[in-house]
Amino acid sequence: MKNTNGTTRNFCGRTRREFLWETGCGFGAAALASLLAGDGVRAGEFANPLAAKPAPFPAKAKSVIFLFMYGGPSHIDTFDYKPSMVGMDGKTIAVKTFGRGGHKNEGRIIEPRWKFKQYGECGKWVSDLFPHVGGCVDDIAFLHSMTAESPIHGSAMLMMNSGRLQSGNPAIGSWLNYGLGTVNDNLPGFVVMLDRSGGPISGAKNWASGYMPATYAGTVFRAEGSPINDLSPRAGSSKLEQREVLDTLGALNEQHRQSRADNTDLAARIASYELAFKMQSHAPEAVDLSQETVATRSLYGLDREQTHDFGTRCLLARRLVERGVRFIQVYSGGAHNDHNWDAHGDLVVNHTKHAGATDQPIAALLTDLKQRGLFDETLVVWGGEFGRQPTAEYAVGTGRDHNSYGFTMWMAGGGIKGGVSVGSTDEIGSNAVDSPMHVKRLHATILQQMGLDPNSLSYFFRGLDQKLVGVEHVDLIAEIV
Amino acid sequence: MYGSRLLTLFSTALIVVELATLGYADAQVSFVRDVKPLLARRCFACHGPDAGEGGLRLHELKSAVAELDSGSHAIVAGQPEESVLLARVASTDEFARMPPEGKPLSEREIEILREWIAAGAPWEKHWAFVPPAQVEPPEVKEKAWVRNAIDAFVLARLEGADLPPVPPADQRTLARRAYFDLTGLPPSQEELQQFLSDDDPQAWERLIDKLLASPHYGERWGRHWLDLVRYAETNSYERDGAKPNAWKYRDYVIESFNEDKSYDQFLREQLAGDELDEVTEETIIATGYYRLGVWDDEPADPVQARYDEWDNLISTTSQAMLGLTVECARCHDHKIDPIPQADYYGMLAFFADVTPYGERGDEETNSQWDLSPRDESDQRKNLRKAIKEIEVEKTSMEEVGIKRMPAPDQRLTETSDRQQVLDEKLERYLNPSEWELYEETLARLAAARKEFDALPAAKMALALGTCEPHPAAIHIMQRGNPHVPGDEVAPHFPELFGDAVPEIPAAEPGARSAGRRRVLADWIASPDNMLTARVIVNRVWQHHFGRGLVRSSSNFGELGTPPTHPELLDWLANWFVAHNWELKALHRLIMNSSTYRMLSQGNERALAMDPTNDLLWRFDMRRLSGEEIRDAMLAVTGELNRDVYGPSVFPPMPQEVLNTQSMPGKGWGKSSAAEAARRSVYIHLKRSLLPPLLTAFDLPDVDASCEARFVTVQPGQALTLLNSEFAHERAEKLAERVSSERADLTAQVARAVELALNRPATEGEIAAGRGLIARLAKGHELTERAALETWCLAVLNLNEFVYLD
Repeated sequence: MKNTNGTTRNFCGRTRREFLWETGCGFGAAALASLLAGDGVRAGEFANPLAAKPAPFPAKAKSVIFLFMYGGPSHIDTFDYKPSMVGMDGKTIAVKTFGRGGHKNEGRIIEPRWKFKQYGECGKWVSDLFPHVGGCVDDIAFLHSMTAESPIHGSAMLMMNSGRLQSGNPAIGSWLNYGLGTVNDNLPGFVVMLDRSGGPISGAKNWASGYMPATYAGTVFRAEGSPINDLSPRAGSSKLEQREVLDTLGALNEQHRQSRADNTDLAARIASYELAFKMQSHAPEAVDLSQETVATRSLYGLDREQTHDFGTRCLLARRLVERGVRFIQVYSGGAHNDHNWDAHGDLVVNHTKHAGATDQPIAALLTDLKQRGLFDETLVVWGGEFGRQPTAEYAVGTGRDHNSYGFTMWMAGGGIKGGVSVGSTDEIGSNAVDSPMHVKRLHATILQQMGLDPNSLSYFFRGLDQKLVGVEHVDLIAEIV
Repeated sequence: MYGSRLLTLFSTALIVVELATLGYADAQVSFVRDVKPLLARRCFACHGPDAGEGGLRLHELKSAVAELDSGSHAIVAGQPEESVLLARVASTDEFARMPPEGKPLSEREIEILREWIAAGAPWEKHWAFVPPAQVEPPEVKEKAWVRNAIDAFVLARLEGADLPPVPPADQRTLARRAYFDLTGLPPSQEELQQFLSDDDPQAWERLIDKLLASPHYGERWGRHWLDLVRYAETNSYERDGAKPNAWKYRDYVIESFNEDKSYDQFLREQLAGDELDEVTEETIIATGYYRLGVWDDEPADPVQARYDEWDNLISTTSQAMLGLTVECARCHDHKIDPIPQADYYGMLAFFADVTPYGERGDEETNSQWDLSPRDESDQRKNLRKAIKEIEVEKTSMEEVGIKRMPAPDQRLTETSDRQQVLDEKLERYLNPSEWELYEETLARLAAARKEFDALPAAKMALALGTCEPHPAAIHIMQRGNPHVPGDEVAPHFPELFGDAVPEIPAAEPGARSAGRRRVLADWIASPDNMLTARVIVNRVWQHHFGRGLVRSSSNFGELGTPPTHPELLDWLANWFVAHNWELKALHRLIMNSSTYRMLSQGNERALAMDPTNDLLWRFDMRRLSGEEIRDAMLAVTGELNRDVYGPSVFPPMPQEVLNTQSMPGKGWGKSSAAEAARRSVYIHLKRSLLPPLLTAFDLPDVDASCEARFVTVQPGQALTLLNSEFAHERAEKLAERVSSERADLTAQVARAVELALNRPATEGEIAAGRGLIARLAKGHELTERAALETWCLAVLNLNEFVYLD
């Protein structure tokens, strides 16, 4: 029973686990557990739904770090070099755009506000906003012809995170958790680190597991205080105290279980308390940056106010990769307006701020992953939910509206070719012209690098085999792998 | 999930198939029950709707008996020896044997196929797509066990399999089971004692009557319905704005259950409450049903968004009420169920008069219904319109000035700082005559608003405030693309039902709606609809027993799971309709059966024969839902506020959770401590900010209809119950309660167990509690009170507290 992709599936493409979830939800828990028994789960063992599963295909990457530039960075001011725009500033031209201001047929050109320089052996042109990242271009694959279906933050965020414009679908991190599980029981498999200014719009919807069990949802991880909600015992109570509680609880639960031994959920719940106890020490250890050298901290810019916050999250991301976390999303920018890359007002002020906060830490992350031998197995993705228009949003000023017709993202590490650029936008960056790439192709490439087949990884829901990339076949971006 | 797990998958499939026949002593092979599921599980992946390897597709009769690429035939009706299918599945040659992977078919399975082909390979309709059979309860040997017809159906299967039912559970266990089942709350100690000391042989029946009469019954069973209709009180997306008065729909649901409204009427009111012969406030509030879904106030493609909204409605309605998943047919004919694409759009056509939830800036016109007297509401409507017009004038004047401002200021005018910018700067950017006109407009607006405010407060409902009485024609959208219309379709019922296309006259001039939803409602809520009654009795069964007779309770199609007890399902459906669709009568019937009263503990023999309890030889344990866990914690501490109905409440939300919002705290109110202790069903459901305790315990995603909740076990749950502020406060309160009710420590320790578990504490538990308290006091220098609190926390974390026998 092989399908054309070579993966083995049962009826209607449902895998065994999906079958269990689907029927299991309306199913006595005991019954479910006994079915799972075939998975090698014995009574007394924790049947962790996040247990690591072997990737069905050879995986290039073990982890993904998605550096999410929330708000939408301007591609023509960062990595999409448009020399022919020089001298066009202020000129009103005919160009079709669609942003939050609606559909327009003409606009006033805002020339890229930063100078570009060539970097690396590949000679990639990068703007002065990203001098540090410029130094890494030989390791990066630039995707210049990205397209998305919405130029509105709410739905565009959902598309970048879950592949759909509609709310209610699992995020890509949930898909990876579902497809691969986690190799570290003591940490969540899908971690989200937010900007200090707040979450992105739609908040938790961006890392929700949608129709999958909440087990697969992202966990918000914090750099300060308790990294995970409800992780720490009540203030003033010690770990030993908690141990006493757990021992008492375990003994009583064991008595209760004696006459109900066939219900493996009871044993699983006992085991889950032990796992929770272990998380209480492992998660704080993961965020303990005092273990890092001064040189490393300085590399990430922890010693500078401008880069401290994002640098901290990047450094944490590396530490989580080392500890086997599967998918880590790091937000640059939060809340609204100029707290993120949404440069509607003053482009220069906005992008100077956000590029200034992220350039050094991003380069540090790539460098650090390399020097630790993690680069090849860690896929780094950079980008926002869309790019920005070449023209001005208002009659006066430099602000740019959203642009989902063409924008730039980049990937590095995890088996991605370095020093390459794929696709292009037109001369002013308004539209993807050469090999436009839908967000789904980015998702397909991420899944593929992680050892999953994007066109067969499915979850049966509402009578359909739901897939991250949708029902129609999606090609990965072959030029960069 | 791939490869290595397949073996177990197939053995699972095997169990399912064999159990389907297990217990049918004189079983004749049934195509629907035995053959089709077998073919589907083992063959369709390569020889089904999506693939026809070797020229064989087994999902339809025509292709199943057609000539293969090889020139032979897989199935020759009546001639097993000529049928290559049999030869291939029975082959001992590993390379020739089908299926190529997994365990070979069992002898019994091969025999099923042989018997079926020998009998002429009858290709019957899918079990759910024929009307419920008129069946009589079967004869059984152990007549004393049979309290009602349910028991006869269950016992007949058990006797056929030589698998005796386990003994009944004790009264205490039964009481706890019944209280949680019907009200979602544990019994208080007094209530429990009252029941246990009741010597009346009808004590159990009386208990059930009492619980069904409790207002908490509607809270518990209404919540099941709210899962199905993906009830939430906000729109999702960027602003996740509130849906005002959504709570009235929630109360409507709870009240309908409490009143034991007949189920057919319940459906009619939600689908067509504004079009019924007798339209009341209640039936209008019921149409809030149409306004519960997600709604993007700023869609990238408004046409697509409109069809997505309809899709959400169609999928919710068809799944929740008909047990059908029709969404596949949005883009193409359903591949397995006989649902052509035209049926999807024919269904959509019934909803053609349902307007979008709103438009940005106006979420009232379409979705709020003014319930006040007509002249009052008209007056309000006219004034509202006038105010809106002046506002538009005002805004357009402001935009003149804004366009002259620097970009950063322009940007600010699109944020919450708009008014501030206007106050400070607008005058500078308008010329004097423009400014004068602007000030005049402001004055007019103030006057109109004042007049509006002087009107009596409106009584609004979330409902179909505005409909489209003469909707445009509905077309099939090619490949589901709403920009590529194909043939026009009239409202019609899915063809698999075989019902005539209804004639619906165009609405009369002045009508407020198209009159189509009433037709759909009457059809769905009809005793002749072959799915409606089956689907609801199965859901009721599901919530009593932890899973339905049909496990896929929103999918009765061919991709669903066949019923474990098909005759019982049909019998219940017929019985329910004959009993006026009354849910409370159905609860009584089920709970008064011996089947419901069995022990949850298993025995080795039964576990070996039927580990998944498909034959119902015992009662399955279940874990409490998130709502039940929270409510039970509040109940045992004595804090639970048992008020019923009313606007939603906002229990404290941890700051870290609020910080995940783009505007931390936005849309989350503050309720008094008493209000915060209301039952979970009254907690405000904000789509992007769901209560963490409830989501930890599998509150479903509220964007799509949920037929059954997941039951996960994960360490996050332990962290929540051990460390959350909520858990600690409950532990403190429990300690406070037991300290006030009992004088000495031992009695306090015991009392905590008794309150939480509805049974006296054992010696061992008391010793464990005393031991823990002593160690904490001595080794960790806790006060005795603090140590007692910790014991109470432990008790609230016990497996026995969250798992029900």
